[in-house]
Amino acid sequence: MSPAEKTGALKSAAGFLRSYLLIVLIAVLVVLTAIVEPKFLSGQNMINIMRQFGPLIMVALGMTFVIIGGFIDLSVAGIINLVAVVTISLIQVLGQVPALIVGMALGAACGALNSVVILSSGALTQAEALFMTFGMSTVYSAFALLYSHGSTMHFWDIDKSKSVFEAIGAGKVGPVSVSFLIFLFFLALLWIFQANTTEGRSIRLTGGNKTAAELAGIRIRRSIVVIYTICGFMAGVGAIVLFSRITTAAPVIGANFETNAILSVVVGGTTLKGGKGSVLRTVTGVLLIILMSNCLNLLGVSSYLQVVAKGAILVFAIWLDNRKQA
Amino acid sequence: MSVLKKALVVGLVLLIAASFGAVAQAKVKAAFVVSNQANESQAFSAKEFLRLGAKYGFEVSTFDAKGDTQVESQIVTNCIAQKFKVIFLNPNDIHAIVPAIMKAKQAGLVVGMFSSDLVGADQKYRDFASSSDDVLGGQLAAQQMIKQFPNGAKIVEIGGQAGHNAQLSRHDGFNGDKGIKGSKIQVLDFKACQQWATDQAQAIMEDFIVKYGKDIQGVFVHWDNGATGVIQAAKAAGLKNIFIIGVDGNKAGYVQVKSGDQAVSIAQDFTAMVDKSLSLAKDVLAGKKVQGYNVIPQVIYDKTTVSKYSTPEW
Repeated sequence: MSPAEKTGALKSAAGFLRSYLLIVLIAVLVVLTAIVEPKFLSGQNMINIMRQFGPLIMVALGMTFVIIGGFIDLSVAGIINLVAVVTISLIQVLGQVPALIVGMALGAACGALNSVVILSSGALTQAEALFMTFGMSTVYSAFALLYSHGSTMHFWDIDKSKSVFEAIGAGKVGPVSVSFLIFLFFLALLWIFQANTTEGRSIRLTGGNKTAAELAGIRIRRSIVVIYTICGFMAGVGAIVLFSRITTAAPVIGANFETNAILSVVVGGTTLKGGKGSVLRTVTGVLLIILMSNCLNLLGVSSYLQVVAKGAILVFAIWLDNRKQA
Repeated sequence: MSVLKKALVVGLVLLIAASFGAVAQAKVKAAFVVSNQANESQAFSAKEFLRLGAKYGFEVSTFDAKGDTQVESQIVTNCIAQKFKVIFLNPNDIHAIVPAIMKAKQAGLVVGMFSSDLVGADQKYRDFASSSDDVLGGQLAAQQMIKQFPNGAKIVEIGGQAGHNAQLSRHDGFNGDKGIKGSKIQVLDFKACQQWATDQAQAIMEDFIVKYGKDIQGVFVHWDNGATGVIQAAKAAGLKNIFIIGVDGNKAGYVQVKSGDQAVSIAQDFTAMVDKSLSLAKDVLAGKKVQGYNVIPQVIYDKTTVSKYSTPEW
């Protein structure tokens, strides 16, 4: 092989790694864990991974649109807190299906409210939206505390049927968990919306360059309302999957979901600068986060090192993202 | 008639004096600074301070530090400016709060640590501390595990928030000399959560079940809400008869022990802790000498004892 051919081969290998690094990382993690701990490949572990996928993936799918649109949303933790305590309490009052509908609508309403606050204040940069949504998160969390009087609500407090929520939390259809099927449904829906609708493309253009998008006739204000409403709605769905899984809802149940969702989206390859990314990429990001916890637990790695690993991956993903942009 | 008038006037004067006395007594301003109102036990304690304060002649105000040491220090400074006489403090960080406590002492306030004490030389800056002993909580859990499995057993341990004082103390107590050390109990694995989050405890338990399966005979989980997640994981995997021990004795622990899903809860008594704090503060104000560190005993909820207690409010 000539030196020029060698350089070309090295360059293409580097290009492949840059594009598919996440898939390579996941493959390495899976192979290593399967060698050291063969039970990793057991059916029971696959079901565990599917269940652990549930709440985070819902929140991360919604967050993807906000980040593609060039913004950020720190209010999802507060929305999860509020939707969880309101929905679980409404099962007793309204019955399970109306409670489910109210819960999802509440999430969407919170998201829409975020966009109204952002638009009315003119906070159109990512940094401004970050602080604005952080403030909104505090407001939603405070409402959750007021509503629940600071107490955790449990399934055993509910006399009425909660079979729908029990199915969401622990049900299976064949070997597949119900929460995973819900995820597949929303993934398909959001992917079609993102790839095949005018609004989906408008969001990407808004995130890429707001001024250019506006000059091109894109209604960026509408795009902002849409992305925050989707994010709020998906946070609501995430809250429902979460409390159904653990059978309790505390007013602080959503703590740290915002950072984990942003981590998943960015690690998946959606750029923090906006304009580029996809819900499919977010799935690989969440898969890495969930698999990492699962594998490191099975490998017996300490809790402290797991936090270090998570932080290192986030820093590496942002570094890689900036390198690609450069 | 004049005698009757005189008696009436004297009676009125005495009544007014007594009312003034009562008002003056009720107006000893005390502050309870909550480390984080979102923490159920702290929210309950705040309610108890408000409920029981008047019994000891205090007018209690509560403040929420929202889990932030800077905010907590600022609240202490504000309390000094607002002429509070007593501060009950549940610290977010027992080291970082010390400068604020020093200021409070210099201003002549009575300082009582609540649920968590200062350490070493810093203890001279507080008047007293009223707390459960988390190391003892871990030891009590270990004793229950040994009692259940005198011939030994394989267990796993799921810790609370990694690095949190209560998590470290419960872990040390459980595994130390007065814990399972030297017994036939074998800890297969230990993992702490990133927060005191039920879903994280559940995910760790699910992973432990994949790794160790039916070998797991017992679980020590550092808090009762975490035990809820452990129970769900065991149920989903079809594992029965796992001996689960939690700590807190809150509503979740109480109900789970009563239903048989959880074997034991090491219960903390926050009402007694609040009562003790108020009583100690009153004594300090009266010039009495009080004990510096006051441990509030923990009780054990198990299938034989749980019915003796009423359902906890928190």
